Formats: sequence, structure tokens, C-alpha cells
Amino acid sequence: MELSGYQVVLHEVTQSDIELIRQWRNDPNVSQYMLCQDIISQKQQLAWFKNIQLDTSQQHFVIHYKGLPIGVANIRTCYQGESLNTARAIEPGLYIANDKYRNNILAFAPTLLLNDYCFEQLGCQELKAIVKADNTAALNYNAKLGYQIEKSTENQADVIAITLHKNDYQQRTVQLKALLSR
Amino acid sequence: MSTKQQLQSAFSESLGIEPTQVIDSLSYNSIAEWDSTAHMILIAELENEFKVMLDTDDIIDMSSVAKAKEILAKYNVEF
Repeated sequence: MELSGYQVVLHEVTQSDIELIRQWRNDPNVSQYMLCQDIISQKQQLAWFKNIQLDTSQQHFVIHYKGLPIGVANIRTCYQGESLNTARAIEPGLYIANDKYRNNILAFAPTLLLNDYCFEQLGCQELKAIVKADNTAALNYNAKLGYQIEKSTENQADVIAITLHKNDYQQRTVQLKALLSR
Repeated sequence: MSTKQQLQSAFSESLGIEPTQVIDSLSYNSIAEWDSTAHMILIAELENEFKVMLDTDDIIDMSSVAKAKEILAKYNVEF
């Protein structure tokens, strides 16, 4: 499966991608922002890949820009027992592995594409995410998209839960989408 | 006003920073003021100032003041 828009293409992960993804994910520049920072072995990576093939509650994509793989995007259902097609809420995730594009306006492109897919094609009503409290870059990034902090985590020190409603997303991203769609 | 001054003014106004902060090495997200919202304002300001219409590749590549000069040079703006 492939999603295309805002200058990027998201290709669903295949077996030929998994070693590259594993190296990216183990890079401290990426793993430092993840909730789990354990090093992933090749054996673990293969087991993960086999598992996601059968799992209708999640999808994983490699992000391509001008034909070059630059990062990974993924979505999973928030509530157990749901599939992506019936999910009320979905949790997206993203990292840009390529240094050149990590701090670049392009970093919004895969998110816009993925969020459109979730809201428009999968029909979910909310996107939710958990962000490390010290990851100010991610918090600022998500705020631009219209995410709001959930009151339930306001007193937690380590992580912050945020939610994005479809209407807020649509209103907040008009200009950004136009800029990346010329 | 010279093109250098025009560029400096565009960055200064769009990002809400002092003109003296507009140096070649200043880059997107390196300061709080240059975030995605400011980037959109900056693009509009540069297009208005220099009477150009940037394509998306240029908008993405415009990651620093130095890159802005390079990109505008493609549109025959000399610095």
C-alpha cells in the first residue's frame, strides 16, 4: 500500500526495509526520543515484522522524499480489539532519520499525509499520542497540528498525553498544506 | 534598500527577531522564533519583497539564511 501527497510517499514496510529501519531506530539520534530505548536485534526486528503482517491494528510505512527513504511513520489503534478500519482513536508515530530533513518544514509532510489517511479514509475521530515531557520539539510540532494536552497527564513528570480532533486539525493545517502542495 | 537589506528585513519582520540576528548560519528551528508558522510568514514575505513565486522544493530547501540567498539567486536576485 502507498500513500502520496505533500511531496512525500509513504510505502508500507516490506522485508527489504527492515534492516534499514532497525539501524535507524537504534541510532541514538532517533532512540533518545522514543519511550523504549532498548537496542533492537536483527532477530527481534524480524519477529516484529512477522507480527505486524498479521496485525490489523497497526500499519508501518517508510517515508520517501524524491525517491530517498528518510524516515518511518506508523499508526496503531488506541483501544484493544479494534482494527484500524473501525478504530475510534488512532495513535500515529513518526521519526525522520535523515539529519537534513529532521529540522525542516518537510517533517510535517508525512504527518499531514498520515493524518489525512486516518481522518478521511479510516474515518477515525481522534488521534492520540504520548510524548516524552522533555521532547519540546515534538510538543511544539504537534501543537502546530492542533493537538491539545490531556488534562489527565498534566501532573505527570515523564510523559504528556495529547489528542487531536479532526476539526482542530483541519483548521490548523490549511496554510501548511497549501505550502507543501504547490 | 539593497537586496541584502530587503532580505534582512524580511527575516527580521517574519521571525520577530533583531536584524543583527539575521546571519547566514541562522537556520529553521535553530531558534524558537523560526518555527513552521514563522516559516510560512517568511515565505510570503520573501515572495512579496522580491516579487517571486517559490516552488515547494525551494520552500523545503529554505532551511537557513544562506540557503535563502542561494534560492533567490535562482530567481535572479543578486546579493
